[in-house]
Amino acid sequence: MNPKKIRLRFSTLVQQLEWYSFLLPTLVCLLMLCYLPVFQAVKYSFSSVTTTGFETTYVGFHNYIKLLQSPRFLNAIKNTLILGLYSLVSIPLGFLLASALQNLGKNKTQSFFRVMFYMPNIITGVSVVLMFQYILLQDGGLLNSFLSLFVKGDVHIGWLVDKHFSKIAVTFIAAWRGVGYCMLISLAGLQAIPLEIYESADIDGASKRQRLRYITFPCMVPTFTFLIVTRMISGLARFDDLYMLGGTSGSPTYSLQTLIMYVYQYSFSSVSPNYGMSSAAAMIFFVVVFVTTLANLKITNFGNERDHKRRLRRR
Amino acid sequence: MKRKALIHKILSSVILVIILAVFMIPVYWTFVMSFDETVLSEIPTPPRLLPRVLSTANYDYAFAHADILRYVLNTAMITTICTVISVTTALMCGYAFAKGRFFLKNFWFVFVLAVMMIPFEAIMIPLYIQYTKWGMMGTYLPIILGYFKYPYGIFLSKQNIQAIPDSLREACYIDGGREWRTFVSVIVPLCGPVIATMCILQIIGSWNSFLWPMICIRDRSMYTISIGVQMFNSSETVQLLGPRMALAFISAIPIVIAYLLLQRFIVTSVAVSGIKG
Repeated sequence: MNPKKIRLRFSTLVQQLEWYSFLLPTLVCLLMLCYLPVFQAVKYSFSSVTTTGFETTYVGFHNYIKLLQSPRFLNAIKNTLILGLYSLVSIPLGFLLASALQNLGKNKTQSFFRVMFYMPNIITGVSVVLMFQYILLQDGGLLNSFLSLFVKGDVHIGWLVDKHFSKIAVTFIAAWRGVGYCMLISLAGLQAIPLEIYESADIDGASKRQRLRYITFPCMVPTFTFLIVTRMISGLARFDDLYMLGGTSGSPTYSLQTLIMYVYQYSFSSVSPNYGMSSAAAMIFFVVVFVTTLANLKITNFGNERDHKRRLRRR
Repeated sequence: MKRKALIHKILSSVILVIILAVFMIPVYWTFVMSFDETVLSEIPTPPRLLPRVLSTANYDYAFAHADILRYVLNTAMITTICTVISVTTALMCGYAFAKGRFFLKNFWFVFVLAVMMIPFEAIMIPLYIQYTKWGMMGTYLPIILGYFKYPYGIFLSKQNIQAIPDSLREACYIDGGREWRTFVSVIVPLCGPVIATMCILQIIGSWNSFLWPMICIRDRSMYTISIGVQMFNSSETVQLLGPRMALAFISAIPIVIAYLLLQRFIVTSVAVSGIKG
């Protein structure tokens, strides 16, 4: 081999190393703090883990079986799914807001409203909970006092202490926080609809309702899909506000305990943590999130843009 | 026709103003109650929308009974470190993926993006065990180290850096620069808006993070604002409505100010990407 060729090889090696030096911190972090833990989570879920020293012994499906027999765990799954579904209420609300904003046209007023309605998304979770703790108070809370204006006598609903109302109450909080996000995304979706379609519909003499039914809704399908998926996923992983309201047990009487709170309760806030069982619960959470995503994509026919456009053209 | 459109517009605005007013009542009420001295010990019935005795007594109480200033400083420090780390590494990776030519490039790109499919909550137990074994629990390290990866930021930087013409880089090569110098002196200065977007998303995310810091931090003096406020909220058995409202306000205000200053970047980036942080 002549020296020139060796030098060439050397320089490509240096070049490779140079590029890899940009990636190195991230790749190490991903390997150690994402991919490795995934495998470990799977391993722990099939093991019994000692609380000191974290030694593992393989126990097969024992953890999973124990979980699925535990009424508390099934209750947590049920709560998670119900609360996730309820939290979707912010999507139609956000869409209505976005339509009203769309009427204003792109100007300063519109961006003012956009910024204001998005604000609850930014506010720290603890602050939101502190605020709503007193709005939803049984005696003297703002919501009950407000409702009292409309009916005879005092409204006396224990929004946060009665297990029949707690889910509605926390959905109220979720809607308040989530509506701005849904508005923002819906507005972007509405603005992406080409005006020509509406114009040609006007020429054809389409009514307002027809325009909504045959133009706006079909064009918004991808946006709604996206919103349903993202809202559902964040609803499934809900922890912060519910934990602050009711502790790990999700009081009142476990009605607000979500899957993540269950995991937290059995691994971080217990004197004798059961890492094996809570890992199994975390794996089930992972699967639930994954399946929900896939099901959502399937039902709403996401990613099938060509099909969607064809349908649009036919109408 | 034009007049009809105008009326329509005005009507929409009026309705929106009313909705916004109702929407903002929680924030307003918190604000009012935090400055009302009578709220210190009792709940005002019926609810008032104006303070009866205007004073800062609630704030005095909150500051005296919870180490707020320290929590805010802790949070600001962690947030700054985490944001700098995540944005810097995201830009580095973005540059490599946009302009680099190296072995297994596509594989690594998928490797990075696939992580977005793993919810953090699913891997927090192994992470906890791992950090405990490494003796890092009780320090800020478990919080900070996680920020060396920012897949969405990497994706965003890659998109932006790809749009920068190669001729600019070549000018730097002719001057004798290598990739790192090109990166620092050519690429980074051209990425202003993207850096701003990533920064603000990460600041919000890091400032508001709750679950993982709560697992990692044990020492009271190391609490972040969210945890400090939560501990105050759950430990005080007496009804201290006023101070709690004051705390709610204090913990929200820095991030709201940052949001209002940088709303241009946030609102558009969320609207375009749909990702909150």
